[in-house]
Amino acid sequence: MPRRFVFWPASVAICLSFTFPLPVLAKDELVLAIGGEPDQGYDPLLGWGQYGHPLFQSTLLVRRADLSSKPDLATAWSLSDDRLTWTLELRDDVRFSDGSPLTATDVAFTFNQAAKAGGRADLSVLQHARALDDRHVRLTLKEPRITFVESFYTLGIVPAAGRDNGYHDSYGRQPLGSGPYQLVEWQEGEQLIVERNPYFHGPTPAFERLVFLFTGEDTTLAAANAGRLDVAAVPPALAGQPPTGMYPLEMETVDNRGILFPMHPDDGERRGTGAPIGNDVTADPAIRHAINLALDREMLVEVALHGHGRPAYGPADGLPWSNPEDQIEDANPEAAIALLEDADWRLGDNGLRHKNGQTARFRLTYPASDSTRQMLAEVVAAMLTPLGIEAQPTGRHWDEIEREALHRDAILFGWGSHSPQEIYYLYHSQHAGQAFYNAGDYANATVDDYLDAAQQAASFEDSLSLWQKAQWDGETGYGMRGDAAWAWLVNLEHVYYVDECLDLGELPIAPHGHGWPLTASLLDWQWECD
Amino acid sequence: MGMRLIARFTARCGRLLLVLAAVAVAAFSLIQASPIDPVDAYLGPQVAQVSPEQRTLIAERWGFDDPAAVQFVKWARNLANGELGWSHVYNAPVSDIIASRFRASLSLLAIAWLGSTLLGFALGVIAGSHEGSLADRLIRLYSYTLASTPIFWLAIAVLLLFSVGLGWTPVCCASPPGMLRADVDWLTRLHHLLLPALTLSLLGVAQIALHTRARMLELMRSDIALYALAQGATRRDIAWRHGARHACLPALTLALASLGELFGGSILVEQVFAYPGLGQATVEAGLRSDIPLLLAIALFTTLFVSLGNAFADLLYRWVDPRLREEVRP
Repeated sequence: MPRRFVFWPASVAICLSFTFPLPVLAKDELVLAIGGEPDQGYDPLLGWGQYGHPLFQSTLLVRRADLSSKPDLATAWSLSDDRLTWTLELRDDVRFSDGSPLTATDVAFTFNQAAKAGGRADLSVLQHARALDDRHVRLTLKEPRITFVESFYTLGIVPAAGRDNGYHDSYGRQPLGSGPYQLVEWQEGEQLIVERNPYFHGPTPAFERLVFLFTGEDTTLAAANAGRLDVAAVPPALAGQPPTGMYPLEMETVDNRGILFPMHPDDGERRGTGAPIGNDVTADPAIRHAINLALDREMLVEVALHGHGRPAYGPADGLPWSNPEDQIEDANPEAAIALLEDADWRLGDNGLRHKNGQTARFRLTYPASDSTRQMLAEVVAAMLTPLGIEAQPTGRHWDEIEREALHRDAILFGWGSHSPQEIYYLYHSQHAGQAFYNAGDYANATVDDYLDAAQQAASFEDSLSLWQKAQWDGETGYGMRGDAAWAWLVNLEHVYYVDECLDLGELPIAPHGHGWPLTASLLDWQWECD
Repeated sequence: MGMRLIARFTARCGRLLLVLAAVAVAAFSLIQASPIDPVDAYLGPQVAQVSPEQRTLIAERWGFDDPAAVQFVKWARNLANGELGWSHVYNAPVSDIIASRFRASLSLLAIAWLGSTLLGFALGVIAGSHEGSLADRLIRLYSYTLASTPIFWLAIAVLLLFSVGLGWTPVCCASPPGMLRADVDWLTRLHHLLLPALTLSLLGVAQIALHTRARMLELMRSDIALYALAQGATRRDIAWRHGARHACLPALTLALASLGELFGGSILVEQVFAYPGLGQATVEAGLRSDIPLLLAIALFTTLFVSLGNAFADLLYRWVDPRLREEVRP
């Protein structure tokens, strides 16, 4: 009986392995498990391509690894003096993967339609787009907004609805574009198979065929260990144990975690949603500065991220719109204590500081489902105890955070974007108190001026110094040396197992979201073995 | 007789409609009570990367801004016209999603259901007819262990053993990586179905085995069994000739009543094996407040389970002659 038991599955396995040889991992085909399945399909108008490479479509511009611009569909672009009109010139040799030409009409349609679509692609500032002739398109904005250029990098161009092969309701499942790859089959919830687009206008990608598996974390790991994958997104804790034949790739990110402080004292006011506003302790700049000074961010990376990350000092560390001068010597509890003493926060009998009858105590709220944030909150609380500040780590559901905590507690958030528009939402007083944007009601007229000036800059490059000044201009800013509206803690690292033969080229700093952003450099990927 | 059958059938249909209506209302109220903001859920990690204007546009486009009652009435009216609505999670008609997902789930559920019923029943009969024997003790040990094992844990364990450790079965999905649907033949499909179906069938085995065993014990201790033994029949003879028919009533009840449980188990198993069935769609719909999809799935499952129970009633009559007779006052 035992012999039969072993024999049966083994013989089936042997039969199967003869009948169905596993696909040979030749250099023609890559198998990747990096998540990123868009449930709504591969429709740029609904947000496909906001991160990483859109595969099927091409965009007006593309980013280099250092985030500078490179032409793709557009060869020239200019912004009018009133900052309301973009005029772009297009290449004339671009074809969709069915061989039909891509013209300015398609570009104009894509932008107009995306503005109405109500998806994740935000073009709400677009007034209208118009094709001037086959090769020129004009985009008119409702108000100056330099961060509109983000759509040049992320909005894949689709064929206009008026054409025979044009955009239609189920475009997301039958995408047609001018990108490097075309869809072969999408087995929803399972895998995506793509092949090179023969009409692609750019350099021919090194791999004829890509297979993206949409497996969960455990299954991805199992598949990687079984040797079925060329690239796998894995949790950082596993960076040290890659399967044979693969190396762990640690990608730097601005996928950050930081503490948002409520900026106003508690006056008993409430938001329209009923959420209470204000916190008497965090409203004091001395508290916020002391926390920023005292935190040992290197230690946070070691303890909470197992070493897989880097300290965060701002919302966009290392990106061109972040100010490198907004730096402090952190991990310095002595300086923090001196600062608190100067601000009249006196140590009481219970080991906590007091000022005007107020105890230095606040809730540090984190979404209960996120174990990394829980760990960060616990370690931060431990680091603040010697100062006489009690941060009480409190795990709550997002809904409860929105109802109870959003404008009253210090909250552990995570952001990180390839567009400085995020800075605008987080720190402009126009968005003060609006849900998740500027939840702490931060308001500084000088910062507002810089942020508005940045939006009205003549070019994206010109806007960079203004974004930086909003963080710290030598006197004020939203950053640690200025108002210290946040205490940024860490930037995560995204870890992938990559086949030892696969060279992924130079990688940019990745945004929030582990997985698909890796494909940003897709066209540079090379196979290094025979 | 015919009239009575029709009356019974109509009553059953009426009851089914009532149950469906109650399920729809209950499911809808639960969704309304759930703390999920559909716009936040729609945006996911991009929640603060679109403007407030865009949030409004999203709510308008997908109908998130209608009051609850309006949403429900709209949905019910569509349903009356035979339309299940539009799923915002998948940006596709709900009927298409259910059809394609259920096709994938059906083979999984069918194999798992048959497997657990037959295996559970056989084990139960064997254990019950040889009370106290080694086989009985082993089967009981196995059943109790299994009954207290979480299905997702079991799934991960068999995945690690058979797919990673031994490499006999594929690690995921309904077809091999890179292979087109059209190129997948039934043997490959079965190969991919094997492990999820096996795991899922183990879920139901324990209950059915234990209940069958209990009924079997009862029989083996009865006068009938004693009489048969006295006539020289072996325990096995008694078990299969007399016992099996008795013991299969609870097994049938359980097997058909546990369709709902099986469906619930399939959600977890499909997650682990990345098997694209209805289970995955249910999770997405629930987490992202996709009202039409979730309601449709709830109704569909209800229908599925109700039909299972109706079928069980029919089978009773066939199996047990005592139930065939009309009860007279």
